[in-house]
Formats: sequence, structure tokens, C-alpha cells
Amino acid sequence: MSGAATILHADLDAFYASVEQLLDPSLQGKAMVVGEGVVLAATYEAREFGIRSAMPTRTARRLCPHVLVVPGQFGRYTEHSETVMEILQRFTPDIEQISIDEAFLDVAGSVHLFGPPDEIARQIRVAVRGEAGLPVSVGVASTKFLAKVASQVAKPDGLEVVPEGGELDFLSPLPIRMIWGVGPVTAGKLHDMGVSTVGELAATEPGVLKTRLGRAQANHLHALANNLDPRPVTTRAPAKSVGSQQALGRGITDPEDVTAVVLSLSERIGGRLRRKDRSGSTVSVRVRFWAPGQDSPENVSRSRTLDAPVGTTDAINRVARELVDDAIGGREEPATLIGIAVSHLADSAAVQMELGFDDAEVDDAGDVARAGSSRSDAASAVDRQLDAIRDRFGKKAIGRAGLMGREDRDAPDEFRELAERD
Amino acid sequence: MRIRAERDDLADALGRAFRAVGSRSAIPVLQGLLCETNGNKLHVTGTDLEITVQTSIEVEVMDGGRAVIPGRLLTDAVRRMPAGNITIDAGGNEVIISGRGPEFRLRALETSDFPSISSDEGDGVAVDGVQLADSIAQVVIAASNDAARPILTAVLFETSDEGLRLVSTDAYRLAVRDLFGIGLEGSGLVPARGLRELARTIGAAQVTTAVLDREVVFSSERGILRLRLIEGKFPSYASLLPDSFPAQVILDREEVLDALNRVFLVAEDHIPVRLEVSENGVDVTVSRQDVGGETEHLDGDYTGEEPITVAFNPRYLADGVGAIPTDKIRLRLVDGVKPAVIDDPEDDSYLYLLMPVRV
Repeated sequence: MSGAATILHADLDAFYASVEQLLDPSLQGKAMVVGEGVVLAATYEAREFGIRSAMPTRTARRLCPHVLVVPGQFGRYTEHSETVMEILQRFTPDIEQISIDEAFLDVAGSVHLFGPPDEIARQIRVAVRGEAGLPVSVGVASTKFLAKVASQVAKPDGLEVVPEGGELDFLSPLPIRMIWGVGPVTAGKLHDMGVSTVGELAATEPGVLKTRLGRAQANHLHALANNLDPRPVTTRAPAKSVGSQQALGRGITDPEDVTAVVLSLSERIGGRLRRKDRSGSTVSVRVRFWAPGQDSPENVSRSRTLDAPVGTTDAINRVARELVDDAIGGREEPATLIGIAVSHLADSAAVQMELGFDDAEVDDAGDVARAGSSRSDAASAVDRQLDAIRDRFGKKAIGRAGLMGREDRDAPDEFRELAERD
Repeated sequence: MRIRAERDDLADALGRAFRAVGSRSAIPVLQGLLCETNGNKLHVTGTDLEITVQTSIEVEVMDGGRAVIPGRLLTDAVRRMPAGNITIDAGGNEVIISGRGPEFRLRALETSDFPSISSDEGDGVAVDGVQLADSIAQVVIAASNDAARPILTAVLFETSDEGLRLVSTDAYRLAVRDLFGIGLEGSGLVPARGLRELARTIGAAQVTTAVLDREVVFSSERGILRLRLIEGKFPSYASLLPDSFPAQVILDREEVLDALNRVFLVAEDHIPVRLEVSENGVDVTVSRQDVGGETEHLDGDYTGEEPITVAFNPRYLADGVGAIPTDKIRLRLVDGVKPAVIDDPEDDSYLYLLMPVRV
């Protein structure tokens, strides 16, 4: 879909590395990577040596023997990310954060306040640099696809505007690797066919592409190369679920560790739900087992749908814990990942109240998981206080006793996903 | 066992018994239907141990006997045979279903593995089958589907001098139906899931009902439905009914249901519908972030002092209004947070109590 160029893609440059440089100015201008096992972020100086994200740190050291390696400080990255997202929100409420360091914005409704989209992009870059101390690249275009390509072209620390009507001129000379979804394998196949730019891809007969790429991918890439992005621009598509997962290294077996991980994930999910004023009626969990000597991991999933949506940390925690226990069953191999998600979301302002049964037999300990019960009311009051304190004094200002001393394991989801690739 | 019967009769008897067969039973033999002959009858039994359906039809019995045959396959195979007579020939491990050309060969299940089903029908009381089915339909709507709270998935069968009373609640609403003058003995918690099958499996003009120690048994000319009772104590619901209602409004049932059908266009899931009840009638409002809203006015006959604003889950409200089979319904209210009661102002045999949504 093509229209006025009001979509912005804001992408923080080498985000983790930039935060490290901000916290320790002596790192500025140096070849440096974050991540002691696998490279989570690399400064542009390090990238000149061929160092890339997701590469084993060992390889990075081989490519650049004097590279500085720092461990991640994930709590700090989350804080800086939140600062940046708050800055972005000043320019439009139509914002879709897609990861810790990038977001789409639709500024169509903001032009009368802040000027044309390219001017807004300039203001965003100044504000993020000035207030958060971080470099950000921004792409401006008529679709999300193009805005993302534009921000990649703009990097590092730049701005790229694709004017309305100029989309194909902009795309044509770009290397095919700039298209979202073209990885080294696909790029290799295309190179074999003599296709190395987006323009050449656009000019290639789809029938010819199909012979090498398969029909679905051929059609998809051919359409994108011609700037036919069939996805509507929905910058604020309401999330269908809210979830979080935690990789657990070599794995855990101690029920106390399981308790802490489930509570920590439940707290994270509950907080995110409540910030959006949402609650959900289905709780799903995924537990991954990977015993030493086993070729591949085994994932076990469980889910339960409640009569009414819940949003309290306690409710999510209780249902998730039951499901995780069920998934673990009597197994002895370690759990290497636990993921929890809440779906079937609804606006949570309304609470279906319950009839107050006195009978102990019916009103079991499970009632915190039922919106409308007295225990759910109490849990909700606790959450409101915790959320208010954190909003005012920061995330670490207060926490649940069950997680005391465990906060350092709190890494952002993006890190977990990256780490899982290893 | 070798029998012959007309396709449609056989398909009907198999299909009704198959309704008791759970789709995901872990015990293989429970995927089967027990077919056994008795005189010139074929009895078909399906069970998931909680719900048991036995149907029977007259057939031509060539060799008497019994066999357990995979239920889904048997039922579907018979349905898809050409019209006319069908022969089922079960000997050893193989079952042959044939008739006018096509012939299925199915592997039989182990007959001795099939659970033994009690034949005790107790001292049942004859009940008008239509009234029973309608009454069950009025209460099962309020039963819970949450397996974590088994007692709330039941319908309480409670007997008193006045007759039989059916009660169910999922903690958000409560339905009470009296069948006056039915002198049933005993009481118990009957799984609502099984009661929902009554009309479809053995529904008839007259249904004999008996509450035994561990199960309730319904029998009719079409078969027998046995439901294992749920153990536990039903919540004491009588105290939940408010003593008096300061406000009530009498509304046209069809108008309310039509209005709620418009509300559902906006209010998926758990979006509440707001009712402002006053002398002017009822103003209905629903709104949903990111979608929009709908408003309308219903005329009603109001009695009360102050206007009351109350919000409900529209699905629960529609369930209650829909359960009352008369032109006019009465909505009685205390305030915006106490239980409301929906009933027929002319008839005290049914009421539906509903907790509001706090907005």
C-alpha cells in the first residue's frame, strides 16, 4: 500500500554498544563488542573488521585481536530503551515498538503539530541524541517496509527520506540484501541468476524467480522489489498476546528456581498488560528440555483458558506455575527455557464480579486467578501500588520478595532470543 | 455376532450412542461402541466413564453375540453406505460391514476390555420429557466449563416436598428451575456436560428419571443415559438471592434480544454492556476502544425510586433473557454492584441471577 510518506522507522545505532559508550566514555571511538560468548552488538569501529552481531565472540577476537569485549548490562539497556521510547511517544501515539531498539511511527496525525515528516524525523534525532545521548537513524517512507530499508540506508546516525512517488528510484540501485527477508542463502541464489540489485530483481520475470526460490518467496520478493507491500500500514495493531520467555543456560531443575523464573516472567507480562490496560483469558507456557547428550531440544506446551480475563501478576503466576509443573511432570532433565504468554486479550477496565460463596469447598485457593474474586481484588491492589511506585521511582525501586537477589538475571527478551540462537 | 438392519435406523442408534464417546480418550477401548444382541434387539453402548449412552433397535439377528467396534469409523461407515439393509458381521478380530456393494472390514477392539455398565435403573419417576429437556436447557447455561472447579460444572438435582429443583452456577450467574410436583427421591450433582446430551441422545415424550447413589439414570423408549454424579457439596446459594429489589423494569423479551444482537457486533469477548434503567425505560450502551460503540433505547415499565446504572457481560445477559420463554421479562436490581435477577413476572418456577460487571 502506498500513500503519503508518513511512516518513520527509528532504529538506534549499535544500541547495546552505544549505551556502553555512553556509560563509559573511554570506550568511544574504539572497536568494542558487547557479549562474552556471542556478539550481541558491535561498534561501527568493530564492524570495520567484519565483526557482526550473533557471531561467536571468539571469531570477533580473531578478526580484530585488540577488540574490547564487555559483558552486557541488560537492566541499563532496558532503561535507556524506555527513555528513547518515551521521547518517540511525544511525537505521536501511533507507535509500534518492534524490539528494544527500534520502532515504527505513523506521524500522519502529528504534522500540524511538529511539521512535515522529514522535519519530525530531524527533531526525533536531535531529541534522542540530546536527551538520551544515543545515536538513532531514521527512515521516512510511505510503507513500513520502505521506512525500514531507508533507516538501514541511513545508518549510522543518519536520516533518509523516500519521497512519495520516488519509491522505485530509491529501491532500484540498492543491493538485494537490503530487502527484509533476504539472507545470505537467498542472496546467493539471486547472485547466481545475475541479480544483485533490487532494480534487477524487480525486472526479473517472476516465473524465472520461481524456478530457484519457490513460488511463495518469489512472489513475495518480486512484489517488495516493486514496492508492492500488501501488508496494510497498521502502526498500532493491538497485540494478540503478551508473552515473555527466559533461556536458562544449561538448565534448571530446582523447583525454587522454577518458582523464581515463573514469577519473574509473570511480573514482566503482568506489568506490560497493565500498562496497556489489558487483560487476557488464556495463559500458555512453553518449557524446553535439553538434556546433555540429546540431539535436539524438546518443547512441551500447555495452556489453560479461564472464564474471565486476568491481568494480575499473582493470577498469571499461579496459572502459569500449574501449567509449568504439569509440563515438567516427573521429568528429571533440566529445563533450558521457560516461556509464558497471555492471549485472548480484552480491555481490562471491566471486571465481572463473582457471587460470594462462603463454602470452602468451592472457594478454593485458586481464586486469585479468577477476576472478580476477593483475592483477585487484593492482588490487583498490590499490582497498582507496585506499578505506581515503579512509574515514579524506577523499575528497581521495589520488587517481589520471591525475586530478591535475582534481578541481575533479568535480561530483555531480545537478548534471550539472540542467546538462544547460539 | 451377525445382524441385519435398515441403514437409517442403524445409523441413528449408533450416532446417538457415539455422542458419549470422548474424542480424546486415553483408553483405546473407550473409542469403541459395544454392540450386543438380546433377543431380536441390538443394544449399542458408548461411554467415556462419566457419560454413558445406551440405545437399542430391533434388528434381524442371525447370530447372537457382542463386539466392540471403533465408534467413529463404524458410525461414519454405516452413514455412508447406500440406503437399504446393512449387515454387520463381527467374528474374531474382524468386523465386516456390508450392504448392496460396498464392504468395510474393521479391526474389532477387545470386548473384555470394555467397562461393565450397571443395569440398575432404580425406581424412576416418569417426567414429561419436553418439560425436562426445556428445564435442563434453562439451567445448563449457567454451569461452568472450568474443569478446575468441578462442582460448578454440575447441575444440582435437589428434591423437596414441592418437587424437583435444578440449580447451576459458574459463580457469575445462577439459574434455578423448579419442577413442581415431581416426587423424585435423592439429590446429587449431575454433570452439565452430560445433561446437554439428554435431548439429543434419548429425548422423548416421557423420560423416567432416577437418582442413585453414584449416578443419575434417564431412560426413555429411545435409550438410557447414565451420568456419573460429581462428588462434593454445592455452594449454599439461597443466601445469595437478595431479599428485596428497590427497582425493577419489565421489558419486551424480543426487543432485548434484538438489542443485544446489535451489541454483540461491537462487544466481542468481555466488553460489558451498560444499562441505564430509569422511568424512561432502559438506555443500552456499549463501547469498545479501537472499534466504536452502539447505543439504543428500550421502552420498559419501571418501578423504583432512583435511576440505576449497571453493566453486564452481554453474553451472560442474553443467556438469561433467552432462557425465559415468555413475551415479557422482568429485570430486578438492587444497585450497580449487587446481583440482578431476571425472570418471568408471571411465573416463579425459574429465575436467573446475574452478577454485574464493575466498570
